[in-house]
Amino acid sequence: MQKTPRYLKPGDTIGITCPAGYMAAEKAQTCIDTLHQWGYTTKVGKTLGGSSENYFSGTDEERLDELQQMMDDNDLQAILFGRGGYGLGRIIDQINFRKFVKKPKWLIGFSDITILHAHIYSNHNIATIHSPMAAAFNDGGSENKYVLSLKDVLEGKKICYQCNSHDLNKRGEAIGELVGGNLTLLAHIVGASSDIKTKGRILFLEDTGEYLYNIDRMLFQLKRSKKLNKLAGLIIGGFTDMKDTERRFGKTVYEIIHDIVKDADYPVCFDFPVSHEQQNYALKIGAVYKLDVRKDCVTLEE
Amino acid sequence: MIASFPFGWKEINTQAKSSDELQTIIPKYLIPGDIIGITSPAGNITLEEIRPAIQQMESWGLTINVGDSIGKRNFTFGGTDEERAEDFQKMLDNPSIRAVMCARGGYGFVRIVDQLNFDKFLKSPKWIIGFSDLTVLHSHLSNYGIASIHSKMCNSFPDDRSNAEPIQVETIFSIWKALTGDKMRYFARHNKKNRLGTAKGELIGGNLKTIESLAGSKSDLRTAGKLLFVEDTGEYLYSIDRMFWNLKRTGKLAQLNGLIIGGFKIKPDDPGEEFALSLYDIVLEKVKEYHYPVCFDFPVGHQKNNFALKCGIKHQVSVEQGLTTLKEL
Repeated sequence: MQKTPRYLKPGDTIGITCPAGYMAAEKAQTCIDTLHQWGYTTKVGKTLGGSSENYFSGTDEERLDELQQMMDDNDLQAILFGRGGYGLGRIIDQINFRKFVKKPKWLIGFSDITILHAHIYSNHNIATIHSPMAAAFNDGGSENKYVLSLKDVLEGKKICYQCNSHDLNKRGEAIGELVGGNLTLLAHIVGASSDIKTKGRILFLEDTGEYLYNIDRMLFQLKRSKKLNKLAGLIIGGFTDMKDTERRFGKTVYEIIHDIVKDADYPVCFDFPVSHEQQNYALKIGAVYKLDVRKDCVTLEE
Repeated sequence: MIASFPFGWKEINTQAKSSDELQTIIPKYLIPGDIIGITSPAGNITLEEIRPAIQQMESWGLTINVGDSIGKRNFTFGGTDEERAEDFQKMLDNPSIRAVMCARGGYGFVRIVDQLNFDKFLKSPKWIIGFSDLTVLHSHLSNYGIASIHSKMCNSFPDDRSNAEPIQVETIFSIWKALTGDKMRYFARHNKKNRLGTAKGELIGGNLKTIESLAGSKSDLRTAGKLLFVEDTGEYLYSIDRMFWNLKRTGKLAQLNGLIIGGFKIKPDDPGEEFALSLYDIVLEKVKEYHYPVCFDFPVGHQKNNFALKCGIKHQVSVEQGLTTLKEL
């Protein structure tokens, strides 16, 4: 049975840590201010704007220690990751989930954080939140409906998202637990202990900055490892900043994906607002949703 | 040794308890007069571009069978999936063709591998030659227990043989030596990051990114008791780090007998995104709790010194102070 952490109420505390790439403290300031406006207090870890001079926000030990402390801290009701980048996979096998499992809290983030979402879903069956992180609050972002959707999810409001239809959509209705995230990370964990089961679930995928041939190869991996054949439904989010080789691939990224699942018997929707761009609704991984792909619009409802 | 095909090999395969008990099937080595096929199961290539390879292989006394996919083009591919699969299938099934050289890599073999029928090939195995994207094929064939050759392909044969650099001549000639049954023996200069030791095992491996992309599929690489070699090109250090975590977290490093690191052409970090670890750090931290030998800078990869390696065949690697030797047993 899926465990859902307690939803937040005013006065609750959200921890902020960077388990992967480096982030300057000022880039998270608007996020912190906004969380305060939402009625929460924050506890900011040292990995945000730390003294690291390389790619990471701190050494593996520093990032792990801070994440572990926050996961174990009974005074925190949620942890929002400052940013993704790369690095959670380096420490994930050293995280001790014992206290967290007894007293789960919301873990919030996407991109590199996909590995943690998947790991917790597969091994501990606790819901987590795939959503914008600190940088998304900047430049007016804290007012947009995607960042605000995180507030609703944290407060426990039942969400219902709608988006436009797409020519490649396959109509239908599906009900299932929602799993997914960044395609590169989901392909990367196939065969490892963080790998997700997809049978009967609604899978969502997004990615950024990849070569088209590599997207194709990763989808073939999901297909060949039988992750795509018994889905309840498939949600394709944004695949932004795609790169192509000198000899062009000859298909758009959505055509590539469509070709691989065109014979599927489940509903598929494209261009759903989950992505590395502003369009990135907060989604609860592990929660049961209904996906309704219709002629004129797509609805995802908890 | 030329192994004959044992009856009922599939049963032998599935009942084997460890890779040690598995007898890899070695296709018949070539002799002058044999026919070699050329096909392009991944990226596209023109007949003009494979001319140097044809001339070189003819000089070895081989007859060349140029497949229909050569000169075909469907965007980046050497024809549509159907065309490439059909050409490759013909090469697999034609009993007069004793070896098949893939003309180039690129991307695309994984798109057709599940459409191929290996029944005839398994009854009468032949040498398949290639690398990079064709790592899919080597891994797939090793799960069938058939040896194959990881080497340069048609697109790497020098245009003008008389003016070719010695290393080009030598690496291309290593393909012919491998095909005709020479026992392979290679050396790598000492690297002070090497972990010394001697180990034996079947040689397997290839392109690291491609190996990662096979995880969970039936072509997934099985590494227990083997000597694993990996190489890659054009990847960021962070991505290489993630790929080695993939090897580790999918259990591919724990039971190795030896690890051979070939060439890694690293994509420079973007300014301000400098990665904390070197390639050496990345590799050595993943294998620190294991005790097998590790060597760096082995002459295999997307580079001039890319020698022919027989996948699936037992080798011995001796990583010693001063010199690394890899020899076929």
